[in-house]
Amino acid sequence: MDRLLCSLWVWLTGARSAARSPRGLHRRLPRFWAIAIVVCLAISFNTGWLTLFAPPAPAQDIPKVLTMGTSADYKPFEFYDTTGGESKIVGYDVDVAQRIAKDLGFELKIQDMDFNGLIPALQSGRVDFVMAGMTPTAERKKTIDFSDIYYSAQNTIIATQGSNLTTIESLKGKTVGAQLGSLQQEVAQKIPGAKVTTRNRVPDLIQELNAGRIDAAIVEDTIAKSYANIYPDLKFTVIPNNEGGYAIAFPKGSKLVPEFNRVIAAMKQDGNLDQFAKKWFEDQGKPTETGFQRIIPRIPFILGGIPVTLGFTFASLFFGLILAIILAILKISSFKPLRWFANAYTSIFRGVPLIVTLTLIYFATPQLTGYKIEAFQAGVITFALNSAAYVSETLRAGIMAVDKGQREAAMALGVPYRMMMQDVIMPQAFKNILPALVNEFINLLKDSALVSTIGAADLLRRATIVGAETYLYFEPLIIVAIIYYVMVMGLTIAASFLEKRLQKSA
Amino acid sequence: MLRVEDLYKSFGPLNVLEGITTAIGQGEVVAILGPSGSGKSTFLRCMNLLEQPTQGHIFFKDEDITAPKCDILKVRSNIVMVFQHFNLFPHMTVLQNVIYAPMKVKGLSKDQARGVGMDLLTKVGLAEKADVYPSRLSGGQKQRVAIARALAMQPDMVLFDEPTSALDPEMVKEVLEVMQDLARSGMTMAIVTHEMGFAREVANRILFLNEGKLAEDTTPDAFFSNPQCDRAKIFLEKMLK
Ligand SMILES: Nc1ncnc2c1ncn2[C@@H]1O[C@H](COP(=O)(O)OP(=O)(O)O)[C@@H](O)[C@H]1O
Ligand SMILES: [Mg+2]
Repeated sequence: MDRLLCSLWVWLTGARSAARSPRGLHRRLPRFWAIAIVVCLAISFNTGWLTLFAPPAPAQDIPKVLTMGTSADYKPFEFYDTTGGESKIVGYDVDVAQRIAKDLGFELKIQDMDFNGLIPALQSGRVDFVMAGMTPTAERKKTIDFSDIYYSAQNTIIATQGSNLTTIESLKGKTVGAQLGSLQQEVAQKIPGAKVTTRNRVPDLIQELNAGRIDAAIVEDTIAKSYANIYPDLKFTVIPNNEGGYAIAFPKGSKLVPEFNRVIAAMKQDGNLDQFAKKWFEDQGKPTETGFQRIIPRIPFILGGIPVTLGFTFASLFFGLILAIILAILKISSFKPLRWFANAYTSIFRGVPLIVTLTLIYFATPQLTGYKIEAFQAGVITFALNSAAYVSETLRAGIMAVDKGQREAAMALGVPYRMMMQDVIMPQAFKNILPALVNEFINLLKDSALVSTIGAADLLRRATIVGAETYLYFEPLIIVAIIYYVMVMGLTIAASFLEKRLQKSA
Repeated sequence: MLRVEDLYKSFGPLNVLEGITTAIGQGEVVAILGPSGSGKSTFLRCMNLLEQPTQGHIFFKDEDITAPKCDILKVRSNIVMVFQHFNLFPHMTVLQNVIYAPMKVKGLSKDQARGVGMDLLTKVGLAEKADVYPSRLSGGQKQRVAIARALAMQPDMVLFDEPTSALDPEMVKEVLEVMQDLARSGMTMAIVTHEMGFAREVANRILFLNEGKLAEDTTPDAFFSNPQCDRAKIFLEKMLK
């Protein structure tokens, strides 16, 4: 449990390289909520208490299929090739991984997720190894194992053309950005007199630089080269004698490490690594089209997120409604403990940010039950549980608003309670709350963008992927904003139509 | 058919019914009169167990329906009730309102229930409204549908709680006519009403309640021409003015 909470905290805050002691860390996580949510989860899964508290599944023996975890928003190391609506993760890391898998006789499966979710994914056994341009920092080595370096990188200072920020000394008193949890963050923190600020992704740093919110950023050279190529206002300078590099990450004690090291050594020998470097890092030339022109061929890929987002929203609303009905009935029950339970449930979900619940469910489930819950499932469960908390409250009010006479009329005809609720009270209660339900649906649709944080390929995640591939920031976001807006408007119109029709029948 | 023995009902500290004993025979039409707040509705609601008596017994066909083991739902489907505010189900059509309980409670097939329902709607003069929603009906029509809905359970007894009090004056007559027909057909009825003319003409008996006690239990003629207690005299003076 401690290990679980610790890695959850780490994921949530991205505090991997922060110098706090682990003991101080997990005291901060409200443990009661964690437990409460996990209990609800267990109930919803019908797994029961016994399996819930069973020890985590033992580390498997080496499987025939190797699952690689990566965060495919780091071109050219790993990114989605989305031209023509296709979605395939490609890049330098992927090529290296393919070669290693082939040599060791494995089949390679790639799982994409948020960078901050990679280490928890390793720990929970969701993936066998991670290749994501990850630097073997001392902090990380405490929780996971690393292979030898397979790619040496140099750190650079990236800044605007006219800024003269080219040396470590020139950064004194300046605001310097770095990717959260990266080696570059450590480098930045060692710059005397610099104010260090972190962002989750390199593209975010570049935007902060363009916006003038930071003066410079410490970025690895291959990446810096690509961005300087797209944004003529930016320039970069290599920091001398400051080498880093990327290594492959494994769960602590993995038997795969020596095997991988053997192949990496072979690839250095036979020139395969240089070949890949040439393929992915050589100058791609300045793009001639505008941002939107480059996005257009990738719009089908973004649109592919609509079924995911809609399916997700519908599934969450559906299960949420069922649960909400049960909770609402508990809330109007004359038996106090049931009322108490339902009210406590609502209070918990109201009091915990959705993203915390989501993260808990996604990462706690594998560690507690051994079931490697998919991002989509975890999302639906979280949103259904959360939505039920709110809708049950609305529904309770909707039930109370049904005229008392309705209940009496049904009772006076000898109609049993369950039938009365189902046929007489609930239909009227639902009609009362229809506008609120439509609102909830719209909120769910928009909030569903949160599942992109655990790597479900919804609309927002796809826009981010396209952004990483094209080194563009705003254009994919604007496209996805328009898509969300059109969907919400469509829903609103459909709902008001439905409401008018219902109004006619009463 | 229905026997009430020493019935008490209180809501917390408020004693509403204080020892009522009476009996209603098969086919009798009993009008329950009394000033507002005297406990008429509560008395009526005890008869079909919408309220649980605090003390005392009610026997229906010699079965003690206040006994703990009694099947309340069965009692209610035999002693149905018509309310002041109709309480039709707004999300169901007129016919659906009528056939819902017979189908769900008595297990009639849809065709059987429709047959019964349409017959009853014809009787109350609303067959052509079978497929409209209650919101399209006038108050008088709504109450006639409510009566049809109650009768669709083929009950042994019908309770009416001020069935015409919520109606515009011009609609009172159509509802009273339906009730009069029902009385003539031999149905056992208990009616809380302020329609003195109707009580005098249609009822076989008058129960006069005052402050939770049964102040008079007599024939309409005796009650209207020669009320015994002072409270009944004052009541009649007010009502007949
Ligand atoms: N459910 C209840 N809870 C508390 N008091 C009630 C309830 N129902 C009725 N009463 C009270 O009981 C008394 C008798 O009410 P009721 O039987 O409705 O009188 P009536 O129908 O003769 O006007 C009134 O004082 C009323 O306020
Ligand atoms: Mg009353």
